[in-house]
Amino acid sequence: MEEIRYFDVRHVTGTVTHVDIDNARVESAGTSYVDRAILRVLGSRGWGILAVDSYSRPKGRDFEVLLEQAGSLASLTNQKVLLAKVPGGCIPVPGMKEDPADVDLEEKQDLLSGIEKSARIDGIKSTRASYIERNEEVRFENLYGDEYSYSICRSGFSIVAVAERGGDMQMGYVRNHAIQDFNLRHHQDDGNTAAMRAVALLDARPPRGGTMHAILDPELAGVFAHEAVGHASEADLVQEGGSVLADTMGQQIASESVTIVDDPSLPEFGFEPLDAEGSHVGRTEIIKKGKVNAFLHNRETLAAVGFGHAGNARAMAGEPPQVRMSNTYIENGDSSFDEIVSECRSGILLKGSRGGQVDPGRGIFQFNAEYGYAIEHGERGAMVRDVSLSGEILRTLHSISLCARDRKMHQGYCGKGGQSVPVSDGAPHVLLIDAVVGGSGTD
Amino acid sequence: MRWWVAVELIERIVKEGGRRVDELEAYQFSGYSVSARLKRHEIHYASGTHLQGLSLRVIHKGCIGTSATMNPERWEACLDAAIASATLATPQEWKGLPVPAAFDPTPVNYDPGVTPDAETVKTLLGDLVDGTRAYPVEITSGSAEISRYSGTLANTGGVHYGDMESMVSVGIETITGQSTGYEFDASWRMDIDPRKVGERAAYLAYSSLDGKDVASGSYDIVLSPIALSQLLGGVYLPALSGKNVHAGRSRLANLQGQQVMDRLLSLRDDPFHPRGLSSCRWDGEGTPTRIVNFVEQGILREFAYDLKTAYRYGKQSTGSAVRGGHGGSPGIGTHTLTLDGQRGNLMEGRVIHVNDMVGAHTANPLTGDFSVELSNAYLMQDGNVEFPIRKAMLSGNVFDVLMKTGGLSAGERVVGSMVLPEIRLKDLAIIGN
Repeated sequence: MEEIRYFDVRHVTGTVTHVDIDNARVESAGTSYVDRAILRVLGSRGWGILAVDSYSRPKGRDFEVLLEQAGSLASLTNQKVLLAKVPGGCIPVPGMKEDPADVDLEEKQDLLSGIEKSARIDGIKSTRASYIERNEEVRFENLYGDEYSYSICRSGFSIVAVAERGGDMQMGYVRNHAIQDFNLRHHQDDGNTAAMRAVALLDARPPRGGTMHAILDPELAGVFAHEAVGHASEADLVQEGGSVLADTMGQQIASESVTIVDDPSLPEFGFEPLDAEGSHVGRTEIIKKGKVNAFLHNRETLAAVGFGHAGNARAMAGEPPQVRMSNTYIENGDSSFDEIVSECRSGILLKGSRGGQVDPGRGIFQFNAEYGYAIEHGERGAMVRDVSLSGEILRTLHSISLCARDRKMHQGYCGKGGQSVPVSDGAPHVLLIDAVVGGSGTD
Repeated sequence: MRWWVAVELIERIVKEGGRRVDELEAYQFSGYSVSARLKRHEIHYASGTHLQGLSLRVIHKGCIGTSATMNPERWEACLDAAIASATLATPQEWKGLPVPAAFDPTPVNYDPGVTPDAETVKTLLGDLVDGTRAYPVEITSGSAEISRYSGTLANTGGVHYGDMESMVSVGIETITGQSTGYEFDASWRMDIDPRKVGERAAYLAYSSLDGKDVASGSYDIVLSPIALSQLLGGVYLPALSGKNVHAGRSRLANLQGQQVMDRLLSLRDDPFHPRGLSSCRWDGEGTPTRIVNFVEQGILREFAYDLKTAYRYGKQSTGSAVRGGHGGSPGIGTHTLTLDGQRGNLMEGRVIHVNDMVGAHTANPLTGDFSVELSNAYLMQDGNVEFPIRKAMLSGNVFDVLMKTGGLSAGERVVGSMVLPEIRLKDLAIIGN
């Protein structure tokens, strides 16, 4: 029988409630049920893992049988895994101003309808609004007898408006997610904001691609921090040899104005009261004044790689924990937005995000703005659309020349290894010198 | 849950549903998979997953409600939730769930020889690792998985279909210097070659080493099936969904009967494709499947419909309902997308061959505009690699670039729910460094 050095169980139960309104029609609205657990056993070498739907904690010998099944899987492994000893424990989940669970579904539907209705203006051909609310109860136990449990609600909405003129179509959208409030209230004008942007984009043109100065707004600069730095600092990638940051600890890879942080304890959308291994969570300064300062860790990567602290193991229900970002942001600088525009002189201002991707081993990233504006003679010019930005991690960070003092956080989901987890990204406005901008424009 | 217990349960649910609402559809599934993951060249973890669940859909006075649970024994709460869901939905024209049809009972993507077995998974990983030894590279990560699932679809109209699926898949990432390579394969039969997959991943990393910058300009581009699948999946397929067409979210909406692709190309969904991972005789709501000819020799012929969208807009279902994962409700999708047309040598003259792209999912799904970073790309002359490209962006419009192509490759491969060849695209914009 396989030796069992350690085990833990993470069991998630709860509900997922959604409302989907498409062109004023309620397509669907309702609730589904989640009940999934993952049991990990550390054998004499590596991990054996069992994922079980509809889990109820067996007692006595029955639980031992489960451990033995996982142990049997662990016997296949040949990589010696060591776990760092780290502090465990749960910090309080931030309190709610208004708990979405206390609001009935009909009211949620009415509020979402109001947002969708405000998007139906002249020039708009299609509108779609969605609300999603996940109420999860998480229970954790391990070999040491540690037991933690917490409840958390994550909810949010999106509104997408499509404008059409003469066969040309453009879309505008607004997304908002929260952990501390029922966020469908007081957002009735967001539909109108999405619609106005979609209509405005009909007159925008894609820019001609090339090398130019670029100002990133807080949302896009947050995605930049996430894609360009965050993923490469995940220590499982460092341990595997799949990150360009692997041998850069202590090196200056950005200007002194750049400090990049990940903090699961921050009461934002990527908040975790403890990580998926039961470890205490806290702030990690990945880049400190331009120097590589720490990696993001679980217990295993901390033991293998070092430089930082555990607390960044995250997982979807019933999936193995991975090293993940949580709330990732560039710290404020001391410039004003006007100073940044003036310093840019000629270039492009990029706003909003359509997502991004990174190859951390190659050190190449790409992300796409929702829209932007040409910057001409230090002033904002014509609107542009379908513009992306790519670069090399170790070169591009040096090109951040100014950071404003207006940081904002934006919520989203991040995919890795087939798992999607809630995150937030943020930054102040930043100025990139000589950025590689992609666009299909010809003039 | 044993199968006869499952059969009894689903019949009970259908019976109870029929008593409370006009119609009910139940989909119950269970399965087991074994997987293992490499960290560098060693096995880091092995896992076993027991999945089960129940997805319900009710229709009452034209209102559709849904719910799902991972615990089928909680079906009564799930049924209550589905009925409550229907009370909130906007009523629509509805002409009934499918009635029973005669099918060949043999599953189309199930091989009884594919058994979720830990030792077999270990062998697959060993062969993956062996394959990489063809080139001097390091493995960063890899995985192998074998799974087997069974599902039952039943409704109050008398449909009671059972099906089984099997799947074996492998994938591996390699690196040398700052050059990376990734390759994968999947099949419902035990016919994949993990050594070949490992060797290809190693080749991609090794051959992309010491890349050079390419001058900005206009180039003919040959996209691998992987790169092509990203552009088709992110932009073209959503535009072929009947729902998006009628909701005003498809650029193809008013172009039926008109040329939308190169006359050399035909795009279809072939649910009977022998290599398709999602091939099926009936769709996610029990409608018999058929080949859907989206584009025939460049002309847009038809869009995809499920029952809900078809009834709403006076169309026929094309058997295109798919479930988003085993627990998901049915929605419009494709089973096995294929692209056919003139085959030949794509590598004549000067081309850039692109194996993969970084950021393809950021393409504009409405307009088709994209601007992506290349991955494992090579400048080639008459089929010979001149040099690997270190870094470059590719920009264009998915709808426009498919209007003027240089043909398709003879070979094709399975990429998710697509079976695709390579394609040569003409005069695309490259932004070099």
